Amino acid sequence: MNKPITAFTSADDNIAAATERWEAETRGPFVAANPERRDPFTTQALKWPIKPLYTPADLDAAGFDYMKDVGFPGEYPYTRSTKPNGHRSGFWTMTQVTGFGKGEDWAKRARFMLDQGLSGLILEYDLATTNGYDSDDPMVEGEVGRAGMALDSLEDLERAFDLPFDKLNYLMSVCNAPQPVNLAMIIAALEKKGIDPQEFVLHIVNGILIEYTCVGRYIYPPEHGLRIATDAIEYIIRNHPNWAPLSIISAQLQPAKANPVQEIAFSLAICCAYIDATLERGLDIDTVAPYLNHFVVNVDMDFFEGICKLRAFRKCWARLMKERYGATRPEALKIRLMTSPTTIALTLQQPLNNIGRLAIMATACALGGAGENMTTPLHDEAHSLPAEEAIRVGAALQHIVAHETGVAETIDPLAGSYYVETLTKQMEDAAFAEMEKIFAMGGATKAIESGYFQRALGREQYERHKDLEEGRRKWVGVNHLVLAEEKREIEIFRLDDEMEEQQVAKVRELRARRDQSAVEAALERVREAARNGGNLVPVCLEAVKVYATHGELCNAMRDVFGVHAPDSQLAGI
Amino acid sequence: MTDAIADGLLKGTIAAGARAIRWLDDRDPRGAAVIRHIFPATGRAQIVGITGPPGAGKSTLADMLVTELRRRELRVGVIAIDPSSPFTGGAILGDRVRMGRHTLDPGVFIRSLGTRGQAGGLSRSTHDACLVLDAMGYDIVIVETVGVGQDEIDVVNLAHTTIIVGVPGLGDEVQAVKAGLLEAGEIFVINKADRDGYEAAWRQYELMLHLREVSLGAAAGSWPVPLLRAIATAAEGGVEIVDAILAHGAALRKEGTFARRSGLRDREQTLALLRDHLARRALSPAGEAVLAEVEARRIDPYSAVERLLAELDGKALTT
Amino acid sequence: MQERSDRRLRVLLAKLGMDTHTVGVTIIGHALREAGMEVIFTGLKQTPEMVAAAAIQEDVDVVGISTLSAGHMRNLPKLARLLREQGAGDKLLLAGGVIPQEDQSFLTEAGVHKIFTMGADTRDIVRYLQDWWAERQASEAA
Repeated sequence: MNKPITAFTSADDNIAAATERWEAETRGPFVAANPERRDPFTTQALKWPIKPLYTPADLDAAGFDYMKDVGFPGEYPYTRSTKPNGHRSGFWTMTQVTGFGKGEDWAKRARFMLDQGLSGLILEYDLATTNGYDSDDPMVEGEVGRAGMALDSLEDLERAFDLPFDKLNYLMSVCNAPQPVNLAMIIAALEKKGIDPQEFVLHIVNGILIEYTCVGRYIYPPEHGLRIATDAIEYIIRNHPNWAPLSIISAQLQPAKANPVQEIAFSLAICCAYIDATLERGLDIDTVAPYLNHFVVNVDMDFFEGICKLRAFRKCWARLMKERYGATRPEALKIRLMTSPTTIALTLQQPLNNIGRLAIMATACALGGAGENMTTPLHDEAHSLPAEEAIRVGAALQHIVAHETGVAETIDPLAGSYYVETLTKQMEDAAFAEMEKIFAMGGATKAIESGYFQRALGREQYERHKDLEEGRRKWVGVNHLVLAEEKREIEIFRLDDEMEEQQVAKVRELRARRDQSAVEAALERVREAARNGGNLVPVCLEAVKVYATHGELCNAMRDVFGVHAPDSQLAGI
Repeated sequence: MTDAIADGLLKGTIAAGARAIRWLDDRDPRGAAVIRHIFPATGRAQIVGITGPPGAGKSTLADMLVTELRRRELRVGVIAIDPSSPFTGGAILGDRVRMGRHTLDPGVFIRSLGTRGQAGGLSRSTHDACLVLDAMGYDIVIVETVGVGQDEIDVVNLAHTTIIVGVPGLGDEVQAVKAGLLEAGEIFVINKADRDGYEAAWRQYELMLHLREVSLGAAAGSWPVPLLRAIATAAEGGVEIVDAILAHGAALRKEGTFARRSGLRDREQTLALLRDHLARRALSPAGEAVLAEVEARRIDPYSAVERLLAELDGKALTT
Repeated sequence: MQERSDRRLRVLLAKLGMDTHTVGVTIIGHALREAGMEVIFTGLKQTPEMVAAAAIQEDVDVVGISTLSAGHMRNLPKLARLLREQGAGDKLLLAGGVIPQEDQSFLTEAGVHKIFTMGADTRDIVRYLQDWWAERQASEAA
């Protein structure tokens, strides 16, 4: 006769005692004769100790309660899935990093992709644009059109938007610091082309706060960065309710070596800063949260850290919205995750090994609940420009996970695993403790201003690097099973100077022919709004229509807000 | 070589001044030779110390002051000090990042120094570095202290004008400023004045300054200590603070105490150098032998000092 | 009078151009400080002119540039030239980050003394600097 499981879990004394017995009689003697291969065993990023065995007693010790901590798919706290039927009704959207030659004519590339049947496009800009400069500014020599499109004025976007918009469902614009300027340009370009903004979803990344903690594409001091991001958020909520005004790219914290608890806590605390600022504009949480719940999260090679992180993310968001803000609508309580294997786990050496790594990480994503979509990086991304074969292999990988492994056939299959539930709960608890710390400092903006995130990440960066150098972490191809004769060349994208020269000429010629006094007046109105707190999007809209340039608008705001120049303490160095 | 450097810096050549400061910081004997050479050309520059608790925004404030001083066509030297690791002796010196806009201005010289084991908020070489910048012709030399604790009173002896920077939201605002600084500061600034708690911080400082005046009485002197507000990130407050700096310099010169302050500073430096020198001389083999006796607890420290002095007595102070 | 010198290696770390990734300089900055060196960080978005001016004001021994965004073929030679022109050609100029093999000899010809590609072991970098420093001090004493 089988005893019901509940009967065991309440008799934890028995299990704990039995575990001790097992340790003393069975495992202990074995280990004495066969010493363990690691000391201590720890998880990869958090470096939390890993026990030899997890049992129901561990769940009890963690205060685990199935109904409270795990629940059911599509229901609070959404640990198992935000979707009522997991991936059984439809798989996650499978997307691919295409990474075509950057700087290429974006419109040409976009048209090609739409012809291939893709219905979503990403607008990425060069470093001149993302840092708020025009192409002819001496500061950006050599950068124009390199990392993405050069966007100096509305004219550039008018040219880029020469597309069959009827084939387009989704457009993402990755801009961050000057996002309100960028948003204004996009709206103006759509107007000029007579395109109905209701016909597709524009998703602006607008994630300036994370940029202060790592990556570093900011312009203005943090409080002003937040203000202008909120202007864009408010504008979209009120004027384009079918658009998405934010994406928290938690994945950016990973190259900065954030561990999973930091990823969850930092990105959620940062999201709260946007939420709080938007609530102050007179909107309520049930309206606001569904707009601000987009998160891009990567998994790294530690299989269980990745899976538990995704589960913990869902749970923490739900709890945060409910407990901190009193949200009630499911749309407000459900996080929207976009998942991906991380590129930082891939090696330059022995690139074919990366296919295996990607397969493992993609499986982890699927097991953790892949969210809205999963993106596969390319296995040779570390050193080369995209080759057709790599693209094909990357795409096939997701289909193999989806169709051949069976991991998505039931919802959240690893739930109930003693290890997985223990680790998930521990992550959740640690993330909440960390968030409390940040809230006690006055919130994410204050934490950024004091350098808290940056210093924490700087420490992690150094520690992890030492782990690698001193052999505490084994990385195949890099410090383990190294091929002596291997010499891997890095291909970089080389831009011909002509492209930059042409763009510089274009923007100068534009300035010469437009109505300069109209531009001056418009820029002054932007400064005015910056000073008195008016929403910057409408005044930017007017200004871009008279062909004020991107750099001029960013400078107008520099005049009022100043620029952010952190000393090394604040940069985490 | 030292003559070339000394002559170069007297002409205002940056590379020469930078090399001289390096020698002094490294305790290279050529540094002392340079000081001997340039000393007569010093005494003109007004040394302005900026000190305050961590998070007060000293670097940003210094950056704002440099901008305003340059607007008035004054030449400015800046010495920014950061802590050296007590274990490795290494340091990360990051203050100049905040003053990046001035890097290419020939009228501004920014130099970063590590404390190299010195307590008190400054490095051992700070005084000498000020002399170098003075001799190079800078009108104002800003010294920005480490700012990690409350023991930063060395700057008071060094500077003609000490600016104490406070910031709202630190809790008990005034507690963050050590007693010695409260008495000796000449200009008080509350930075980040747009923060919550600004009113409360202002009132506390006002009260503190009033009490200070009352308790010092006549000793307070004739300089009316101003309490100023600033939002350095928005470039607000620079004009008033620079007005105060220049007014204080003028007041000292008018009173005739400017030179006296410089002189007192050099006197302190002499004693410091002497202490330093004696301590280092004691670490000779003969000296080590005496110290070994103390370590073994066979003699007491006072007797040890007498013996060490006796050891050193016969020897002339060499260059 | 000052008998014993306290000479310490000073390194300027800078990022040229618009690339803002700081993980590399963070790790190296920490490693150099642990090795007892003084590290001056100029900040992001520097031009070769700014780096040269800072290197001279700070009288550093070593200038270390981190570059991830392919402006290196223009920026680094320009920096090397500016340092030479301003009498600072004896400072060691190092570059690290994403620098393809095929670009390296051009850069070395142009005045970059050594290139450490991404993933270089910080211990190697520290050892390289210490060896260079020892040689430099020995030749000065001679």
